[in-house]
Amino acid sequence: MPLLELRDLSVRYRNRGVEAVRGVNLTLDAGETLGLAGESGCGKSTLAMSVLRLLPPNADISGEILLDGEDVTTMKWGRLRAVRWTSAAIVFQGAMHALNPVQRVRDQIAEPIELHSKTEYSASALRKRVHELLAQVELPAEKGDSYPHELSGGQKQRVMIAMALACEPRLVIADEPTTALDVIVQAQVLALMSDLVAEKDIGLVMISHDLAVLASTCERLAVMYQGSLVEEGLSAEVITNPQHTHTQTLAAAFPTVGDPGSRYAPATSTTLPDAVPAPGDELLRTSDLHVTFRTRGVTHAVAGVDLSVRRGEIVALVGQSGSGKTTLARTILGLQEPTSGQVTYDGKPVPRSTRGLKAYRRQVQLVLQDPTSALNPRHSVYESIAEGLRIHKVPGDEREHVAAALDAAELRPPQEFMPLLPHQLSGGQRQRVVIAGALALEPKLLVADEPVASLDASVRGEILALLLRLRANLGLAALVITHDLGLAWNIADRVAVMYQGELVEVGPVDEVLNDPKHDYTRSLLAALPTTQPKETDLASG
Amino acid sequence: MTVPKNQPSPRALAWRRRGAAFTAGWREFAKQRAGLVGLGLLAVIVLLAILAPVITDREGLDVTKATGDRMESPSWEFLLGTDRPGRSVLLLTLWSARISLTVGFVATLLSVAIGTIIGILAAHYGRWVSAGLMRITDFFLVLPSLVLAIALSTVLERGIGTIILAIGLTSWPSAARLVRAQTLTIEARPYIERARALGGGHFHVISKHVLPAVLPLVFVNTTLAVGSAIVAESTLSFLGLGDPDPMRPSWGSMLRSAWLDSAIIAGAWWYLLPPGIAIGIVVLAFTMCGRALESVLNPRLREG
Repeated sequence: MPLLELRDLSVRYRNRGVEAVRGVNLTLDAGETLGLAGESGCGKSTLAMSVLRLLPPNADISGEILLDGEDVTTMKWGRLRAVRWTSAAIVFQGAMHALNPVQRVRDQIAEPIELHSKTEYSASALRKRVHELLAQVELPAEKGDSYPHELSGGQKQRVMIAMALACEPRLVIADEPTTALDVIVQAQVLALMSDLVAEKDIGLVMISHDLAVLASTCERLAVMYQGSLVEEGLSAEVITNPQHTHTQTLAAAFPTVGDPGSRYAPATSTTLPDAVPAPGDELLRTSDLHVTFRTRGVTHAVAGVDLSVRRGEIVALVGQSGSGKTTLARTILGLQEPTSGQVTYDGKPVPRSTRGLKAYRRQVQLVLQDPTSALNPRHSVYESIAEGLRIHKVPGDEREHVAAALDAAELRPPQEFMPLLPHQLSGGQRQRVVIAGALALEPKLLVADEPVASLDASVRGEILALLLRLRANLGLAALVITHDLGLAWNIADRVAVMYQGELVEVGPVDEVLNDPKHDYTRSLLAALPTTQPKETDLASG
Repeated sequence: MTVPKNQPSPRALAWRRRGAAFTAGWREFAKQRAGLVGLGLLAVIVLLAILAPVITDREGLDVTKATGDRMESPSWEFLLGTDRPGRSVLLLTLWSARISLTVGFVATLLSVAIGTIIGILAAHYGRWVSAGLMRITDFFLVLPSLVLAIALSTVLERGIGTIILAIGLTSWPSAARLVRAQTLTIEARPYIERARALGGGHFHVISKHVLPAVLPLVFVNTTLAVGSAIVAESTLSFLGLGDPDPMRPSWGSMLRSAWLDSAIIAGAWWYLLPPGIAIGIVVLAFTMCGRALESVLNPRLREG
């Protein structure tokens, strides 16, 4: 008997009308690992939550969900409570928000044991059990006394995994367990999960939008698209020989670093510029830039950075979270005052006066990570783009400027997009609006902070291609901040690797990524999940 | 780029969108019976208060021209009886509505305006501006507002203006705290950072992004605050700090004279109850309206 069997499962949300999950059939045996891939909104999280009937009350489930041969959809409430966490447990998405901030993690791990365990645990036995669980996820026992905010992202994710394992479930469902994590931590968490599956003979369903992550941990892959299962098979086969067009898009979206075919060629259906224009003279330079924060001790967010961007050049600033790359970007834009050192633009130091900064900001524009929150939900596309024009009182017909900017960001025809509100647009379109808002001021340099990190895989390539075309057509220089080495490989001319506030390695992309000199760059590259199936040993950081 | 001439301007589109949003909001409001009842009551009361000079004769408020007897019980001539000098209580209650509502509205506007400005400035500028403004707010918050209002009314000349000032100056701190909290959450949104990076200054950020997002909350707060301002006005008038002119009565001063004239001992319930019930109804109506508005503007409060 399979551990989990879904028979013709459909889920419909009453207020939306469309079926979120349509007739999915899946089976999973004990000790097996299954990766569930798909873009946001494809129904993969709904599918996962339906296994434990954790969906909101307005969801209608049809079909059968057999957990150890027992149908979850018809279970009585008491039986369902008993099954939750003891037969199947979930590692929730976003460990930052799934932990209670005012409880010690020890108590949070103990909670499911106290609720579900059939044998009474004494206080000391419970403590011992929590220590065991912490040891399983490779955390020292003292960490149990910490509060969630005292732990790093990776540690929090481990706590979540420990919680899921607390009642020794036979099935673990991990919903985007590594999305918010750095490559190095991601590799560690993935290795941990594969080890646990092998050791305890549990079934694992892992959900992600990143095929590479799934392929490196799971034996089988299932790809969802608009609620239906479009492809299922062994990981290696799905990755190397995708059948469905959607799988092909997903597989192509994340390039293999070092593959010459994807150099200057992000996955896109549009045409890419033929030649890579040679960069001009130096546009922006930071010299010995320091930014120090003095809240709760001294933090050297940026510790002596020398970085230059030339006209028409795309530079990728790579580093893990907390490496100071966002602070560096904010300092370059004048949103953060440097402690020492200076930023020069076009040979002149960047002014600190309000008036001087305003003029400077016409030249240098920012594109933020999450386009959903970067646009005022009350402003239409037109108003968002015209905002910069109005601030700078740009002469000429405002409407024409807006139309031109929309056109440059490839939102065509512009008239159709102008009256729309952000929530009426898709994620990729929103990011184009943010880019159009920046382009309206005809800047020379674009500072993009993780421009595609919150976008779906298929949109990622389109936005990156847009950046390449803007460079080719308008001579726009860009400083792209990212944790994603694949992005640097896709579009950047030069890459700067940042580690603990310092640039440890700067150079042309081909050189740095093919032949890294610094240990940190090497470990970053080693931690990249490969699309090779898991037989090849997973590198751990 | 050529622009088709028949296309409406973005400004017109924005107004049209606001109109549509208003209609949708109204539809949501209309679903709430309590809110509708409150709004209906308010409409009737405000209309009566505005039309008081048209449908009644102000001369009836003049004690020297009073036609009734001393504390006459309700009759066909005086539906709600008369007070001690012989004036109609119905007439008094009607004219009192004018003063009570005016004080309620103006004092609330004053307090919400002060609160909104201080709250937004404190949250926007942060650091020492915030520290300074919030300490001032705390100062007003811990002062017993009634004592402060009494002190103010004794120092300043007695009259409506003083009462409005006293209520306005004592009731703004809670609005300031509320607006500050809301402003802080708005200011943390990335689109504020984007506006700054576009070159927008303080005024731009506040007027284009913060204020429109804070206003709905302010609006709800205003509606809820009018009721308490009316109660505060009645309290001050009852304590004898209101307008001394008998030609300008308010519900509070009616209660005061009923008390001074020992209406209860005389068994003149018609003298005491109408102003009291009027205060109750108006406050209730504002609260029902305010709660309904709140749930329209904050969908999370809606049930179901």
